[in-house]
Amino acid sequence: MNKNEVTNRVKKAIANVLKVAESEISDDANFIFDLGADSTQSIELVAAFEEEFDVEMDEAKALEVQTVSDAVSFISGYLNS
Amino acid sequence: MSVINQNKLNLYKIFNPESVAIVGATKVPGTVPYDIVINILKSDFQGIVYPVSPKEKVIAGMKTYKYVLDIEEPVDLAVLVFPSTVCHLALEQCGQKGIKSAIIISAGFREIGGNGIEREAQIKKIARDYGISFIGPNCLGVINTDPEVMLNASFARKMPEDGNIGFLSQSGALCTAVLDYAQAKHIGFSKFVSFGNKADINEIDLLYFLADDPKTEVILLYLEEISDGPGLMKAAQEIIRKTGKPILSIKSGRTEAGASAAASHTGSLAGSDEICEAAFKQAGIIRCGNIEEMFNIAIAMAYQPLPQNNRVAIITNAGGPGVLTTDAAINDGLRLARFSDETTLVLKKSLPVTANIKNPVDIIGDARADRYKVAIAQALKDQDVDGVFVILTPQSMTDIESIARCVCDVAVEHDKPVYTSFMGEADVAVGIDILQRNNFPHYILPESMSKAFAKAYQFRKHLEEEKNGLVTFKDVDTPKAQKILNAALKKKRTYLTEDQSLAVLEAYRLPVLKSVLATSVEEAVRFSEEVGFPVVMKIISRDIVHKSDVGGVILDIKSTKDVKAAYDTIMSNVKTKMPKARLDGILVRKMIPDGVEVILGIKRDVSFGPVVMFGLGGIFVEILKDVSFRVAPFDMKTALSMMHETKGRALLEGVRGQKERDMQALTDCLLRLSQLSVDCPQIKELDINPLIVLEKGKGAFLADARIMI
Repeated sequence: MNKNEVTNRVKKAIANVLKVAESEISDDANFIFDLGADSTQSIELVAAFEEEFDVEMDEAKALEVQTVSDAVSFISGYLNS
Repeated sequence: MSVINQNKLNLYKIFNPESVAIVGATKVPGTVPYDIVINILKSDFQGIVYPVSPKEKVIAGMKTYKYVLDIEEPVDLAVLVFPSTVCHLALEQCGQKGIKSAIIISAGFREIGGNGIEREAQIKKIARDYGISFIGPNCLGVINTDPEVMLNASFARKMPEDGNIGFLSQSGALCTAVLDYAQAKHIGFSKFVSFGNKADINEIDLLYFLADDPKTEVILLYLEEISDGPGLMKAAQEIIRKTGKPILSIKSGRTEAGASAAASHTGSLAGSDEICEAAFKQAGIIRCGNIEEMFNIAIAMAYQPLPQNNRVAIITNAGGPGVLTTDAAINDGLRLARFSDETTLVLKKSLPVTANIKNPVDIIGDARADRYKVAIAQALKDQDVDGVFVILTPQSMTDIESIARCVCDVAVEHDKPVYTSFMGEADVAVGIDILQRNNFPHYILPESMSKAFAKAYQFRKHLEEEKNGLVTFKDVDTPKAQKILNAALKKKRTYLTEDQSLAVLEAYRLPVLKSVLATSVEEAVRFSEEVGFPVVMKIISRDIVHKSDVGGVILDIKSTKDVKAAYDTIMSNVKTKMPKARLDGILVRKMIPDGVEVILGIKRDVSFGPVVMFGLGGIFVEILKDVSFRVAPFDMKTALSMMHETKGRALLEGVRGQKERDMQALTDCLLRLSQLSVDCPQIKELDINPLIVLEKGKGAFLADARIMI
């Protein structure tokens, strides 16, 4: 899966969880500061990424990811391993 | 504008903003970000509020901004309620927006360790880069009750009543408890501040701010850690001297196990709490043991004038409580006023024959407001009365409400303090409520009333005390002391030898008794004859710690012949008991005449720096721990107060036929130690044990000392 595809699917998952338009999600958007995620939604985001990409992530590390671009890199790591 | 003035302005804007942005607001009831918005709105804030939220469009009916940068108008204050992980992003934008004042409510910084420490460093750097001053993080927020501002930028449930007490607290949770406690007693506040981790603005900045605040007359401070002890002391001394505003403080963490691990007497006796106690006293800060005690004293000082002196009149409708109050007053160092003839006459004429017209005045159980009125008014008129305690117990005929109103009406006409104790709870509640609403200090227990009066009186005395300047001795040889200390440090030594310790003290002209290390009988004889008899001789060897145990010490040697004999005896004893010991020689010293043994010491405290200790020797220090401390440097009055504070001082002043001791020489030693402790930070701990204090005019001498570096 190339980076663009991962990015688009990450944004799709974010849009679903945070109820924001995909067009409003920039690559460097911070889940909390820019998109208004609260602590519950941060956990929901991890679950949504796992489901979207069919991977099982280290939850503690996943929760440290704060931006869209970091999420793309983090998920790519799982997809490439 | 200078940095200091800008910081002052930034701090002023935290309490007096014309516009506030709540950054990270949400519209979820029951959350801190939401409650902060609502509390600001409910507090009737006189400025403009801008909720900033990445997601919400409207919060509490107000237009919401995605970023603080989207607000077109200038913003005076930002209240950050974002999670700690993104506070740096929010603060950066505040800086870009030109906001210079902030409150960071969010937790998750230094207090959690690990990443939290890094996050705190990050926000401090951003604040520095943009010239932002901020309170927090990890705090409850700030309240200003000034009717022209009315700001509750906190997540406390209620806005307190307007008042003249400023409250500063390191603990946010304690703030809410205090607000609840104060509300029930109608205690009002001028400013209410939870300063949390004090990453930027700390208690010292806030003390200076409240010192300048015209609405604040009494300052309360709850501290969990003191980061800059000398700075705190300096601020308190300046504020009290310049403004006369009392500072009351609770410093938690009174117990400490660490002191027991110290290497010296001074170290083991000077726990951080003892030093804190001494430092607060030195700075004029009134230390309180708990919240109740703090408010008992605070309301006395905030509501009533300070007493001119310590003579009180007790007006009571019950004999027992009158006696209890008398006992408490005497125990607290107060005096019962002796009424003037006029007062006695007026009371005699106005009260029933069964009344006791002497102080404590018992106006009898059936007293109504008229008797209280005449007794209180006359007592307040009497020039020999400095304050009045009004006590009431609720009998069936006691018109509690009228009496409470009468107290307020009569007292307000005089410029003397009136404290009250309506004893009980349910029946007297109506009277207490009237007293509290009218700013009369009320106490359930007369003992608390007496203690509060005593503290107010002591504070008055403290204000009147003249300070004399620091003494700096010019005859000391600091380079010599430094050289000895540095040489030992270079060799990675942790303590000086006895000779080195004495040499350091000698460099500071402390009265070290001269001694010489004799390596032959001839040398011992020559020195003994030089200094005069009697002398003491003791073995010096790096292998022998307990000299007496090996027969290595002989006292009271009175002649040349005895010196020769003693030299041989010591050498023979040591060779028998410790044949392998390496011997340096025999120390010969003039024997000190009888005197009072005292212990002096130095310790370096983490918060307050160098501290000097004084105590009487023997059981006074070993068992009773009868010692006093002061933070160095200090003046002569402080040195004298150290001695006066100890129970054993009578031995120095001369008791039961004993002669008065040389207090001047002792004071001189304390002042020289104070200077040494400041000049030579290499000294971690120092013990002079004992210093022998001779009769007045004959000086003091020390023979043994130990310095840890």
